[in-house]
Amino acid sequence: MDSFIQIENFSKISPYASLFWQGMAVTIMLSLFTVAIGFVLALILSAMRMTKFYPLAFLGLDKDGHQKEKGIGVTIGKFNPISFLATAYVEILRSTPVIVQVAIIYYGVFGALIELPNFTFLGFIKFERFFPGVVALGMNSGAYLCEIMRSGIQSIDGGQTEAARSLGMSQFQNMKYIILPQAIKNILPAIANEFVVIIKESAITYTIGVQDIMSAVNAVRGATFIIIEPLLVATAIYFCLCFPTSKVIAYFERRMSRGDKR
Amino acid sequence: METRDKLIQITNLEKHYNFGKIKALDGVTVDIDKGDVMVVIGPSGSGKSTFLRSLNLLEEPTGGAIIFDNVDITKKKYKDENGKWVKVNMDLHRQKMGMVFQHFNLFPHKTIMENMILAPVKVKHMPEDVAKKKAYDLLGRVGLFDRADAYPIQLSGGQKQRIAIVRALMMEPEVMLFDEPTSALDPEMVGEVLDVMKQLADEGMTMVVVTHEMGFAREVGNRVLFMADGKLLEQGSPDEIFNHPNHLRLKEFLSKVL
Repeated sequence: MDSFIQIENFSKISPYASLFWQGMAVTIMLSLFTVAIGFVLALILSAMRMTKFYPLAFLGLDKDGHQKEKGIGVTIGKFNPISFLATAYVEILRSTPVIVQVAIIYYGVFGALIELPNFTFLGFIKFERFFPGVVALGMNSGAYLCEIMRSGIQSIDGGQTEAARSLGMSQFQNMKYIILPQAIKNILPAIANEFVVIIKESAITYTIGVQDIMSAVNAVRGATFIIIEPLLVATAIYFCLCFPTSKVIAYFERRMSRGDKR
Repeated sequence: METRDKLIQITNLEKHYNFGKIKALDGVTVDIDKGDVMVVIGPSGSGKSTFLRSLNLLEEPTGGAIIFDNVDITKKKYKDENGKWVKVNMDLHRQKMGMVFQHFNLFPHKTIMENMILAPVKVKHMPEDVAKKKAYDLLGRVGLFDRADAYPIQLSGGQKQRIAIVRALMMEPEVMLFDEPTSALDPEMVGEVLDVMKQLADEGMTMVVVTHEMGFAREVGNRVLFMADGKLLEQGSPDEIFNHPNHLRLKEFLSKVL
């Protein structure tokens, strides 16, 4: 009877090692770009959510500039279109599957609306597939990172803001000097986790033909009819990428929390 | 009668929740004069904290006026002498009102020195060396000169509150607001904080103090307000309030706390 793993299969797939190396490079590039896009997007979304832009606020004021207590004008006056847009974006992206988002971006946005140049960079990465993958994953992780940032900011005791404001600091200064330095420390584990999730989630882009680790597995299977061993190689590569990443971030987390201890 | 400079004029201040069903503040009218040490007492839920926090708009009043520096700070904007609409810059007014909280609210990620000089340097653009010198002066006055480089977590409650007081003083405020400054302290640390406050009062600082320390109200206060159910029921000198109370609610309250 055949055993679950056959050692000779590893030597049979070894000619395809370069596919795995290339797949690993693609996965790393994909994750780095995704993290960069996601982080910038999350900062923009968080800033949008925190704006104090009330274009209709005058509807809630009485004739000498006092805030009125109730009425339809007060309710409309509290409407913040910028914050609303950001919140809607985050909620939609968080409530739909990534695989659908990736497909919509690839087939819909870049398939029908925007035409991408058809070229290969670094010798083996197809731009017209790689780019939509990065955009879709970046948009998705931006929504999650925005949510993480919001919870981090909310986790800071309200007394901190009160103290800062009572010292005359503006809303912006309060954020910059008091809230964000503390919030970032609190959310570092969650952000690290999100980075690791992105590395793993990037596997989904093989559905639109990005040649990452997962697509290397399929290529090897197609050529050799061996499935378990390539999957194990892929597992090992993903583990080697994710595990050290989380450890490195855990190290920085410990360093940053030094001020908390006696 | 001596002439007094009115610092803050409060008229008919209201704070309503749920469309007026809950009245945390129900028409409080009082003037705070320069040099006053005004102590606000009353049972819990009487609105005294809300009253204090309304003074620098940590709570937004739903009605009435607070005139500070000739501006009604409860309004979002006002008409200046030329008839132009001007936005009320609350940050500017808050710089002139120091506030001390029940739970200290020191910034845990900054050292004591950083806690003290942050606002003067960033908000008032005081040069850093000037701010540091001033901070060391103040730290010396409260006996914490050697803790400048410590983090808040390394200090006791009493020490934290003394730092919170001098942090507010760094901004050179015109009035200091104290929101139950000793309520979160272990009993043996209450004295050291009250001493600093007494010292401050002796120097002529205008103070509004919400507290349960009746001894402090009696000794240091020059005016005592008694609040209940969001209303200002009685006010007067400590002697009038503590030895000759009029209102039934005040008599009841005093019988419980004294």
